[in-house]
Amino acid sequence: MDMITLTIDGKQVQIEEGGTVLDAARRNGIEIPTLCAHEDLPDFGACRMCIVEIKGMRGYPTSCTTPAAEGMEVRTETEALISLRNQILEFTASGHPNSCLVCIHREDCERYRPRPSKTGQATRCAFCSNRPDCALREMVLDASSNELNLPTLYSEYKIERDDPFMDRDHNLCILCGRCWRICEKIHGTPAISINHRGRWAKIGSAFDQSYVDSGCTFCGACIDICPTGTLTDRFARWYGLPELSWRSTCTICPQGCDLTPSVDGGQVTGTRMTAYDRDARLCAVGRFAYAQVMSATNRLRHPMVRENDELIPTDWEDAIKHVAGALGDLKGDGFLAIIDEANTRENVFVYEAFATGVMNGRVARIASNCVLDDAIADDIRAGRVKSVLTTGDHLDDEILSKIEHLFVMDCLPSKATSEAEAVLPVAILSEVAGSFRDTAGEVKKLSAAVDPPGRARIEWEIIAELAAAMGSDALRYDSVDAVTKAITDDAPPAPLAGSPRDNLKDLPSRYRGHYLADSAAGLKAMGLPSSPKPPPKEITGGFRIIKKYEVVPNFHMLTVEAPAIARHAKPGQFIIVMVNEESERTPFTLLDWDAQAGTITMVVEELGRSSREVADLQEGGVIAHVTGPLGVPIELPEKGTVVLGGGCYGIGAIYPVARALKQSGHEVIIALEACSAHTLYMAHEFRELCDEVIIATKDGSEGTKGGVQELFTSVVERGTKVDLFIAVGCTFMMRMVAETTRTMGIPLQVALNPIMVDGTGMCGACRVSVGEDTKFACVDGPFFDGHAVDWDELGLRREAYSREEVEAMPQYAGGNGTAAALTVTAGCAAKL
Amino acid sequence: MEDNKKKTKPKKVRVPRQPMPEQNPLRRAKNFEEVPYGYPADTAVVEANRCLQCKKPLCVAGCPVNIDIPAFIKFISDRDFTSAAAKLLEQTALPAVCGRVCPQESQCEEVCIVGKKAEPVAIGRLERFAADFVRENGGLPKPEIAEPTGKKIAVIGAGPAGITVAGDLARWGHKVIMYEALHLTGGVLVYGIPQFRLPKEIVKFEVDALTKLGVEIHTDYVIGKTETVDDLLNKLGFDAVFIGTGAGLPMFMNIPGENAIGVFSANEFLTRINLMKAYDFPNYATSPIRAKHVITVGGGNVAMDSARCALRMGSKSTVVYRRAREQMPARDEEIHHAEQEGVDFRLLTNPTKVVVDDNNRMLGLEVIKMELGEPDDSGRRRPVPVEGSEYFIEADVVVVSIGNSPNPLIPQTSPDLETTRWGTLVADEKTMLTSKPGVFAAGDVVSGAATVISAMGQAKIAAEHIHKHVMGQPLTTDSDGEESDADS
Repeated sequence: MDMITLTIDGKQVQIEEGGTVLDAARRNGIEIPTLCAHEDLPDFGACRMCIVEIKGMRGYPTSCTTPAAEGMEVRTETEALISLRNQILEFTASGHPNSCLVCIHREDCERYRPRPSKTGQATRCAFCSNRPDCALREMVLDASSNELNLPTLYSEYKIERDDPFMDRDHNLCILCGRCWRICEKIHGTPAISINHRGRWAKIGSAFDQSYVDSGCTFCGACIDICPTGTLTDRFARWYGLPELSWRSTCTICPQGCDLTPSVDGGQVTGTRMTAYDRDARLCAVGRFAYAQVMSATNRLRHPMVRENDELIPTDWEDAIKHVAGALGDLKGDGFLAIIDEANTRENVFVYEAFATGVMNGRVARIASNCVLDDAIADDIRAGRVKSVLTTGDHLDDEILSKIEHLFVMDCLPSKATSEAEAVLPVAILSEVAGSFRDTAGEVKKLSAAVDPPGRARIEWEIIAELAAAMGSDALRYDSVDAVTKAITDDAPPAPLAGSPRDNLKDLPSRYRGHYLADSAAGLKAMGLPSSPKPPPKEITGGFRIIKKYEVVPNFHMLTVEAPAIARHAKPGQFIIVMVNEESERTPFTLLDWDAQAGTITMVVEELGRSSREVADLQEGGVIAHVTGPLGVPIELPEKGTVVLGGGCYGIGAIYPVARALKQSGHEVIIALEACSAHTLYMAHEFRELCDEVIIATKDGSEGTKGGVQELFTSVVERGTKVDLFIAVGCTFMMRMVAETTRTMGIPLQVALNPIMVDGTGMCGACRVSVGEDTKFACVDGPFFDGHAVDWDELGLRREAYSREEVEAMPQYAGGNGTAAALTVTAGCAAKL
Repeated sequence: MEDNKKKTKPKKVRVPRQPMPEQNPLRRAKNFEEVPYGYPADTAVVEANRCLQCKKPLCVAGCPVNIDIPAFIKFISDRDFTSAAAKLLEQTALPAVCGRVCPQESQCEEVCIVGKKAEPVAIGRLERFAADFVRENGGLPKPEIAEPTGKKIAVIGAGPAGITVAGDLARWGHKVIMYEALHLTGGVLVYGIPQFRLPKEIVKFEVDALTKLGVEIHTDYVIGKTETVDDLLNKLGFDAVFIGTGAGLPMFMNIPGENAIGVFSANEFLTRINLMKAYDFPNYATSPIRAKHVITVGGGNVAMDSARCALRMGSKSTVVYRRAREQMPARDEEIHHAEQEGVDFRLLTNPTKVVVDDNNRMLGLEVIKMELGEPDDSGRRRPVPVEGSEYFIEADVVVVSIGNSPNPLIPQTSPDLETTRWGTLVADEKTMLTSKPGVFAAGDVVSGAATVISAMGQAKIAAEHIHKHVMGQPLTTDSDGEESDADS
């Protein structure tokens, strides 16, 4: 191919003919910023960040779409270009929640909150699961001027959770087009494209139908290539950036696709395709279900043996002794091993050798996604089989009743495990090293990258140990390589009918006989079968929801019937809520109450599972448990000027305090903070109630730029004599306010929000250090002297369960009840 | 007669005390199933036949609720298990519970005559058998309820004391309304005592029986917050109030590092597992406590429960106790079970410091060896530290199980309720009347953390005197014949 020579920033560079100016620059180590460009994608020219100046050409062409030409003189860093790029970046960022990028407290905030917080839709970086990996954020922060002067145009799209496996937050989309371009590249006709035009342009399927019906095969490429947090993997998103990833092979079906699992905290949290390429595409099971099956919380963890009609967990030594003893007596007497082919060659080989060589029995191989052969089932029914060892869930009640002795070596519970004489838990997928022969006959190497859960072990090792305990020398292997070497002529596994990578209807529905949809709930939405689940515990009685709406994104106002609480509530108190019988006991602030009507009102910010349960509630529905009013009402000074600061849910929390102060004749100044004007609520109510309302936003879109601490400072600096500060909001805000006001000589009351369990002083989970004392926030608080609180301790204690909180997030498709509620009550949002 | 009996009965004494089938300890340590399986009917009859049916039984006096033990055992020997249970229910609302968690070895069985020459009759196991038998066979017919008296009584706390009081008062024809702060009834039986020692279905059955007696139960109702005692009496028209709120306020050790992540009160540790069912996470949303090594500090029954729960959650489990084995307040059986299951005991050892990392997460516990010195007020030899004997135990969780005091929510909002310096309510031990007219109390809120059965014993007394109080009868007569009454 002919080479072209051109000059970029005074440097002579060469590129093959047909290459673009951007290619030429990158190939030669010259950086040009891009957002929409990707090495695996065709050029597009959407983001305009890669503009350059080219001598003799009018304007500022995009380098990604301009072919390099002989003798071109290109400049990439002129003042005009930098200024233009900054403006382009501003325009891009104005359509993307950006308050964190311009917030004056960003560095402190990220120091105290190193991981983004879980939430519903991301209204800023601090609540965006993509924060550690966001191209736009990096670019804004790197830009010579990180001032963003354009107002934020927040789109107010509801987070889309109705499709399996993916959460879509179009408020973050910058329309770079990477997603539909990769979709087109991999699948030919893309399932998604840009719908609508102009302000309302939005990525979606044709006619905004469900992705399941759109031809999408859920390969996940769009999620993986999205530079913002718009498209995310529901299961993996809150685990953060993986610690490591490696290349492996999926053994769930015989196609044996290559994939790249990634690990966080010793757990496989996701899998991706090995390249952005048609041949490397994955099916929904490989891309999404693989990690969820491995992470299933009901994985078998301990060996169990039957005793007095009950399966009792035990240790391996006891289990091996027990099983070897039992199998020893059954040798040569109608033994059958039911072996899943969805396994490593080594495991299958050792199972077969054991069944035939040691047990003098037979083997029934179960092809991936298949069920037990009729002929074999008939043999069992006819009593020709006395004992069975199964590696998966293949036996129904009728067959089970015909088996005298049953042993299970499996990863998940099943009917068979509950009937078995012994259950031995096994390692699966990325927990197992060895090799796999795919349908095409190719042998692929598998490496183990994580430990199996609990005491689960590698199958061939268990079998070898059993054989040894039974006195057989036939299976003495000292390593997996030794087993691999012993395999001489294994046949490729039976091919799968259909093509799961191209059709959702061809997806395998089982792994080792277990429904995949039982572990990966998203598959149910694709029509895959699953086991019936016991319904959630019925709520008897409960507390009826009179009114509910989302006042600003993620903030839900609920009015609930609770007459006793309404009769006794006092400013500063809180309630404990359990939405369902299975819920946590979660504290929420009381915003208002009406003793006459017998109702209470609360504001709940959607963060993790418990607040999501609240967010998903509907008007007319019930909450299982509401307890309160809890905590000590705030002690107020007799008279004087009180400045109340509220942020997030704290805006609601200070409302009853402000009202009480006002009623008792105080001068009340309200300081409200929000990340941006569009997340500010209740300013109107406060204006009606109080003497003065001052506002700060992190992006300066309304009022002062900054937070409650800046507002408090401004009140003091203008000469107002303040007798008491009260601040309620996130721990970070209250801490910053405490630091700012420490030297002002004005007392500060803060409402602390540590983790609680019972909320009545019983457990001590909520202990906080205030001065020299340990206090229980639930019964001694929630209000404390903000200048005496040990903020470091509180911040760390609040993070104690961060991993469990991520694990507890719901994985099913749908359940976003807020959309419907919003349409009904959208008018109220403006009113309150 | 006496001679005759001696001639016909002695053989039975030679029948050994019947063992109860138990799970293999190493296996049971990993699950939450109940540990002993309970007597089969035939074994129960054999055991019941060991009872001498003493004319002057000492066991009845040994029982804090004075169950007619020979009578219920006789019914078991006659294979009339339903009548045996009915007999039990005359004196205890919770036979299935008491049969499991009572310290019989220091009560009824300690004084059993058979026990003087051989092993005592297994009264607790027989009680459990009779109660389980009727529960598994459809329960007892509804007991007789007296004509309605028109009196209304509030029972605060749905634990052992409250259940006892509510059951008695409802049977005597009073309208009983019960208030429970948590979302489930049962109190310590549900949040504290683990499933493997007391299956929760049993507690539910006992509470359901109360509902059948007409007791109205309000959960999620914190008296002292949702409503005050004064409001109950003055605004809501109750004729009497019973406080059985137990001892739910955990004590900590006051050593450096105690607010580290990884330091839990036994209440929190047990509540997460038992009440909130964290062992079934994430089907239940409450986070479990996952640890490699859990150290439990303390030597009582609660400490044994914590240590054994830790094993079941898959952790290594160690008990650190500052006195010696003989001085541990836990039941022998519980210590024995814990030892059997593989709990490691470090006795005569006391924590001095929780060692933490940069993120305030616990790395381990610094402890000091103790030796026994002079006896203290309790008559037990006081443990004193051995200077310079500190050492470090690596662990990621410590469960502080050194006792609980009563929750102050009610006294805080009822200033006329007199409390002791330990935070317990002052109550007359003969009537269980508090310093506040019309308000009675019993159980741990009066005595400090004690046993289920002692709470029930006090509750029986309280119920009797609440009845007298609302019916306008004099409360009690002391030896001088002088009346002491609620309103006097």
